Amino acid sequence: MQVEISGLRKVYQGGIIALHGLDLTIPPGIFGLLGPNASGKTTLMRILATLLEPTSGEARVGGYDVRREKAAVRELLGYMPEEFGFYPNLTAYEMLDYLALLCQINDRKERRSRVEQALQRVNLDQVAGQRVGTFSSGMKRRLGIAQAILNNPRVLIMDEPTSGLDPEERVRLRNLLAELAADRVVILSTHIVNDVASIGQRLAILRQGRCLFSGRLSDLLDPLKGRSWIIDIEEQELSRVRQDFEVTGVFRSATGMQVRLLSDTMSHPRGYASEPTLDDAYVALMNRDAGGTDTPREQEADPSETA
Amino acid sequence: MRRPDPPWLPAILARECRLAFRGATFWALAAAGALLAAWRAAIPHASSATAAFRASEAILLGLGVLAIFLAASAAALDRRQSVTQLVLAKPHGSRPSLVLVRFAAVWLSLAALAAIMLAAASLAQVAVGGTAWHLSPYVHALAHTILPIGLAAALGFSLSTIFATPLASAVAAIYWIVIPLTRPHTAVAFDLTLSQHWPMAAFLTAFLLVLTAALYARPIRDRGPGTARLAWTGAILLIAAGAAAYRVAAAGDDALLGPDPVLAAIASQSCRTGPRAPGFWLPDARGRLLALSDYAGRPVVIAFWGPAVSESARYLSALRHLTTGLDSSGITRIAICVDRDPAAMRPFRQDAGPSVVMLWDRGRHFGEGGYWDDSPTAVAYEVTALPTTFILDRRRRLVRTIQGDVSLDRLRAEVTRVLER
Repeated sequence: MQVEISGLRKVYQGGIIALHGLDLTIPPGIFGLLGPNASGKTTLMRILATLLEPTSGEARVGGYDVRREKAAVRELLGYMPEEFGFYPNLTAYEMLDYLALLCQINDRKERRSRVEQALQRVNLDQVAGQRVGTFSSGMKRRLGIAQAILNNPRVLIMDEPTSGLDPEERVRLRNLLAELAADRVVILSTHIVNDVASIGQRLAILRQGRCLFSGRLSDLLDPLKGRSWIIDIEEQELSRVRQDFEVTGVFRSATGMQVRLLSDTMSHPRGYASEPTLDDAYVALMNRDAGGTDTPREQEADPSETA
Repeated sequence: MRRPDPPWLPAILARECRLAFRGATFWALAAAGALLAAWRAAIPHASSATAAFRASEAILLGLGVLAIFLAASAAALDRRQSVTQLVLAKPHGSRPSLVLVRFAAVWLSLAALAAIMLAAASLAQVAVGGTAWHLSPYVHALAHTILPIGLAAALGFSLSTIFATPLASAVAAIYWIVIPLTRPHTAVAFDLTLSQHWPMAAFLTAFLLVLTAALYARPIRDRGPGTARLAWTGAILLIAAGAAAYRVAAAGDDALLGPDPVLAAIASQSCRTGPRAPGFWLPDARGRLLALSDYAGRPVVIAFWGPAVSESARYLSALRHLTTGLDSSGITRIAICVDRDPAAMRPFRQDAGPSVVMLWDRGRHFGEGGYWDDSPTAVAYEVTALPTTFILDRRRRLVRTIQGDVSLDRLRAEVTRVLER
């Protein structure tokens, strides 16, 4: 079971190009799709989920064409969109029961056990009888995860699954995804780099509809070994350091500021070597793609995101 | 590939109904509708037929508009609650049958609302009217109500799904309100609540639903020229159907029955007060409904006749020449044909001429039995034989009844006497 994408192109009405002839092969296991907003992640996921027709190119899920064999693809698929809701009048149980019917789980007993199992997995079994309208956004997101795993999908597609979850739920979700990824394809998109770093074995980095990198996390990090540094600096030094080095992250520390950067050599007296992180690789890749003109996105290098 | 088992659709229907029935809106509408229907039906001495007719009138006008918006809201439910992508990504999620099942659930909920309203009307009839209760008028009123409401619902449901804007259903609602309020041909042609239009209404409903089902799974922003072609074809077919209906109503010779003339007549007669002649609201040969009140302020000659009576041609001819030579030309002559078939009065039209208003008083049988039960206006005027002539003065008081005599001289003498009063 794998997902193959070749020459996939999507042009929306009005000429906005969301995907520029994308080529990707996604093997079983967790696969992270990383990229800034409007990089084409959601478009790609919606095409894989058979919700959007590609303009040209081909995408196959488990060998089935997403354009011509929609029904077969959907049977293999669990999809959680980035933005979604539920019928507020139904209870969590009824909502999942309804969606399970749409997954053609027609046997009542089987449906009940699947729904109960899914609710249990996302820790919502205690509120199964409560109306979805009363749920918090975190609970709704967990219910979204539950509906995606209802039909025991071979391919799980999750668009920004961690947004809106508190740290504990986020850890729980990562564990759940790791558990699910044992024998299936789990594709998750995020713009939070550390989500992928902590669970993704493989990843692709998209930008403006093009794939900048695709492969193992180690393939991305290995070339940076020996090039990643941390320097303790005073605040006024920051602009000079930015000029001299490829800065990948700026943090405040108790004594002043810490800067993560990439460099072949280190001449700064307070600089010391560090293990390269996905943050470093991501920012470096983005900078390289933009011709080195972009400054690193500090908000995405927030250390609190690190699990 | 695994095929869906048969229980899939009923199970989905049950859940769709649960979605439709559980909202607070449904019960609020049911309560408001029940009050409205009970108020319409609560008149002293009202029979079941009167109560059911008056309630069904209110239900059609009120629930028709609501149906459009309820259906539009149900069609947009997935989008409004952002459930669309969850549903569409499921194996069954984009099946056209899902659209039809959702529509069926909306229609069922509307039928349930209509039933609740009629039940309230029935209670009001028993409590205030104090007359015997009969089931058949209520069953008839329910059937007569939910068919056109189904079309209204399909309009709202389809327009909202196809064009993805609530404005579309507002257009449908304006149509629904404006058409019954406009008079003759346009109203008759486009008022799909009229029972004779049911084949066209059924065709349009089916057409709209099939179009909606075909378009349902296509994402709005991704709908290409194919969708536009389909929508244009639909619009052209709708216009063609409307034009055909207009032609039938305006130029055709087929009798259009109007919305239950019998019940309408019964309902209006039961409300009469004082010594004035019973009012009526009856269809002419083309189905156009005319009321006695349309001729207020003029003396009126009402002639009950039947095509089976041998003297009818002479009687109608006398009616035609009645006002020749009389000073006052403001006198109105109404010939009411009492027969099972409205087409039976067609051969007599030449005898009566264009100046005599020819109406038809016959419809479905709802009475307790007996010959005259089928012709409620004749019952209201206590006609015992045909022909019978009634002369009404300018204030609609019944001043002369002439039974049997069909000579022009006798009729003219009586009319002259009335005009001289």
